[in-house]
Amino acid sequence: MSEAGGAGSRRPGRRSAVRFGAACLALLGAFAPGLRAQSSLLYLELQAVGAYATAPGRVDLFSFMAADAMQKPGLGFDFVQRLSAETRDIGVLGVQARLVYDQETKRPKPQLYNAYLRLKPKFANIWIGHSRPAMGLASVLDNHALLLPDATMFGFGFDRDWGVGLDRDFAWGGVAASLTAGSGMPLYLKGNYLAAARIFKGVLARDGHSVGLSLSQGRVLETMGYTLADPDPAAWTAAGLDWSFAWRNLESRAEILAGRRGGAGTFLAFWRPGLSLLEEGRLKIELQPALMRRAGDWDFSLGSGLTYLFNADLAGRFMVLRDSAGPGVRFVVQLYYYKRL
Amino acid sequence: MSDIRGSSTGRSRPVRALVPAAAGILLGAAALALYAAVGCDLNDPDRDVKRLFPGSTGYKTLYVSVSRKGGDGLLRQIEARLGDKFTGLFETADVPYTMYEIYKGTELIGYIHGANQKGTYGGLQVFLALDREGVIRGFYLQKLTSKAAKAFRDPAFGNQFLGLSLRDFYRYDVVTGKEEPPGPVSRIANPDPGSDRDFRAILRATKKNLVLADEFLLGNAHLKFFKG
Repeated sequence: MSEAGGAGSRRPGRRSAVRFGAACLALLGAFAPGLRAQSSLLYLELQAVGAYATAPGRVDLFSFMAADAMQKPGLGFDFVQRLSAETRDIGVLGVQARLVYDQETKRPKPQLYNAYLRLKPKFANIWIGHSRPAMGLASVLDNHALLLPDATMFGFGFDRDWGVGLDRDFAWGGVAASLTAGSGMPLYLKGNYLAAARIFKGVLARDGHSVGLSLSQGRVLETMGYTLADPDPAAWTAAGLDWSFAWRNLESRAEILAGRRGGAGTFLAFWRPGLSLLEEGRLKIELQPALMRRAGDWDFSLGSGLTYLFNADLAGRFMVLRDSAGPGVRFVVQLYYYKRL
Repeated sequence: MSDIRGSSTGRSRPVRALVPAAAGILLGAAALALYAAVGCDLNDPDRDVKRLFPGSTGYKTLYVSVSRKGGDGLLRQIEARLGDKFTGLFETADVPYTMYEIYKGTELIGYIHGANQKGTYGGLQVFLALDREGVIRGFYLQKLTSKAAKAFRDPAFGNQFLGLSLRDFYRYDVVTGKEEPPGPVSRIANPDPGSDRDFRAILRATKKNLVLADEFLLGNAHLKFFKG
């Protein structure tokens, strides 16, 4: 699953895309009997994404940052396979991947999101592979299809990381811990690691609220998508408090994180309130102010998003984003199709 | 996974064996017995199964859908038994239903199934714990955004459903909200008359849940009570 870099010929990119596709087909083929027996879920994902940045007045085919692994025009799948013994579940296998158009190289590039085996011994659930570190809102908020950037997109933690983790739910909430590579989407082993733990009280879908406390420490790499921005890992320590709340047709998520990265103070305050309207909440309006301190500088980001569900399979999203990186405003449109096969 | 050709140090070789590694994990797992899936599922089945079936020792997650079992023809039959059309985002033929088989040792002692339903402020989720005959032994509102959420979540409300089955709910018309002749469903009291829409949504979700469980889990044991 290599992603060819920007330099060099087009052939490596094509080869990696072909290898990626062939590997995915082979893996899914291995489970064909399971598919027939309905022991699994397989979804097709298609998305079209376009953006216009008023400064410098440019059309982009990505949602947020060119190098990042967020929304780009692409084709993907989401595969879940239950593993069971005679009278009990043993675990779950999850693979979620995309082949996206990369504007920088003008080539298709593979992206791997989920690639984990989650087992269910009696004392806890354990995962191994590529999944979410036990850190903040990103560990429970699935940003896979969304336009509005979350904390990991701002550089605070990782949306997915390679390693192991465990979690256990209790009547009052749950606990989770993970030990991961601290490199994000790609796997590098250069003395980098990220240990994270989160404890939370309340279950959003059940109680209407949830409060989580996260602690993390390690030596992490600066990656953006599959791009390694700095070859050396930096010391990382952080504590975070996250809060999710749902009441009637209102939802709100917030996170505060403070710590140190590479010897400098780091801080994030993030809030995403949302209002669902129309029958079945088909239309959702969200705001998202965020205040950050990174590498000694204060930054802000202010976003607003609309989501409309055309039907069970097709969603349209629109985002307006303004941040301190430049003077302009970014408009993003997405059509997202997610269909069970 | 990533090949950063711009690295000048030359010591930053990424691990490139991710596909083989993933394949190894997947193929190794394929050697295990495989069943089940996800859909409208319990947030934490370990916790919830123990609570709804205190004597259970394990559970298996099953995955079913109308489109896989019978397609549009089956959907029409299910709609007839429900007494209403499937509509909206949550009610399509290919929506996945998650059903849990509950075991005590090697003995199957019951089932848990959840159903999505439109409520006043979006979706709500009604989970039923059923014994092997399809009688409600546990009632659980997982997702619920309602003015009367506290009252609907009160055990006193859920306890009114215990002991009922699809045979009882067949007489309840989910469109009119009436039971003819009045019987056990009519005796389920709405704890907040101002939230009648949500109350009726809960009753419809319960009936839909029972119809689907009868179709997918109980071999249509209650079909003989359906008067069409």
